[in-house]
Amino acid sequence: MELLDRYLQAVKKHLPWKRQDDIIAELRANLEAQLEDKESALGRPLTQGETEDWLRQIGPPIRVAARYQPQQFLIGPALFPTYWFVLRLAFMWSMIIYAIVSALQIATQTPNGAAVLVAVLRAPGLLMTVAAWVTLIFAIIEFAAAHYPEKCPEIAGVTADWSPGTLPPLEKEEAGGKKPRSFAHAVAEEIFGFLFLIWLLLVPHYPNLLLYLLLGPGVFYLPVTPFQLAPVWVAFYWSVVALNVLQLVWRSVDLARGAWQKSRRLQHIVMSAFGLIPLGLLATVRDQVFVTLKHPALDQARYGATVDSINKSIHLSALILCAIAVLSLAWEIGQMSVDAYRKRVAAVR
Amino acid sequence: MTAPDNVFENLRLELRRGCLTLAVLAQLRQEHYGYTLRKALAERGLEIDESTLYPLLRRLETQGLLASEWREEDKRNKRFYHLSSDGERIFGQLLGEWRAINASIDNIL
Repeated sequence: MELLDRYLQAVKKHLPWKRQDDIIAELRANLEAQLEDKESALGRPLTQGETEDWLRQIGPPIRVAARYQPQQFLIGPALFPTYWFVLRLAFMWSMIIYAIVSALQIATQTPNGAAVLVAVLRAPGLLMTVAAWVTLIFAIIEFAAAHYPEKCPEIAGVTADWSPGTLPPLEKEEAGGKKPRSFAHAVAEEIFGFLFLIWLLLVPHYPNLLLYLLLGPGVFYLPVTPFQLAPVWVAFYWSVVALNVLQLVWRSVDLARGAWQKSRRLQHIVMSAFGLIPLGLLATVRDQVFVTLKHPALDQARYGATVDSINKSIHLSALILCAIAVLSLAWEIGQMSVDAYRKRVAAVR
Repeated sequence: MTAPDNVFENLRLELRRGCLTLAVLAQLRQEHYGYTLRKALAERGLEIDESTLYPLLRRLETQGLLASEWREEDKRNKRFYHLSSDGERIFGQLLGEWRAINASIDNIL
């Protein structure tokens, strides 16, 4: 009996305090009656080992007590899909806003690698804070819906006047049987786009970030070379930054409108057209000067021909790239026009 | 336990859960306290763990399907349960539903 008392005492500790005495009294009566039955069947009291086996079969005190608790949800199954959807949106927008603010701060203040590292390391904390707030709000909604069902009968978008007509249009497979872009794919593109923009904004302050990619370890010999970049590269750089900003804003608007699965053909053509601007800057640069000598008076005789050769090569490359980009753009516009014409014809038939 | 065993066990528990409620309501057309109810169900082939049955009685009482009272029997205070008037009505409805499902399953099989 001592073991049964200890068992009931352990169960009691995990019961709701308002009802624990009542529940324990009932449980004791039931278990004592069961014990009496067992003992009268055996014709002797249960041994310590037999009692242990019997109580083990009933279950651990915490599990037995848990069965007396009402089923509880922080966020129940009816509300959970809405919660998950809102949480993903909150994650995405908080990261986008955070990335913009961080990029602007890094670009306008004295930028350094530590500032970028701090911005990246702060991101998980921000996501946790966002998740905590969204979860808290939904837990309050769940609590209100559970305790005052008459005051909030329709939650989680489950309304009586729901209409199938409000369903989104059927998702079409892209050409070649490819699946449409997923939300995660679209968000990942956006995040990597912002990270690329941050990197791009750091380049003027840390040119090696870019030059190391182009020249590898050769970048460490640049300070001792007699060459330097001409001012046209500044205009080229800012036009590339503007192009990236435009693309990110466009994608953000698509995400906000829930249109990330729509065909991006028009977007691609517009971006290709704007992409001609930086190439055009290089192709039309005055006197075709891309690289100059740091000390023309000293080095003109020795490196003048090399500089001319580099400038001509870069100019020729820019012209070729420009021509390819124009032809590619014209081809895409032509294809889009043909497709649009075919669709119109099919619609008329 | 393997994954298919686990799936079977979950489905079995799901299937049993509703049936147990129906069996308890059916048995409590006569008054019982927890232990004698468990014995009566076991005698009719339905074994239920203590840790499942006793909390279930509490829940059904909270839902208004059972009524209970403390009474002394064999020099021991026990809580006796029986079907309430609401419980009788809902039991009738559940029984009809259960019979219809049973008949449908038989037809399908």
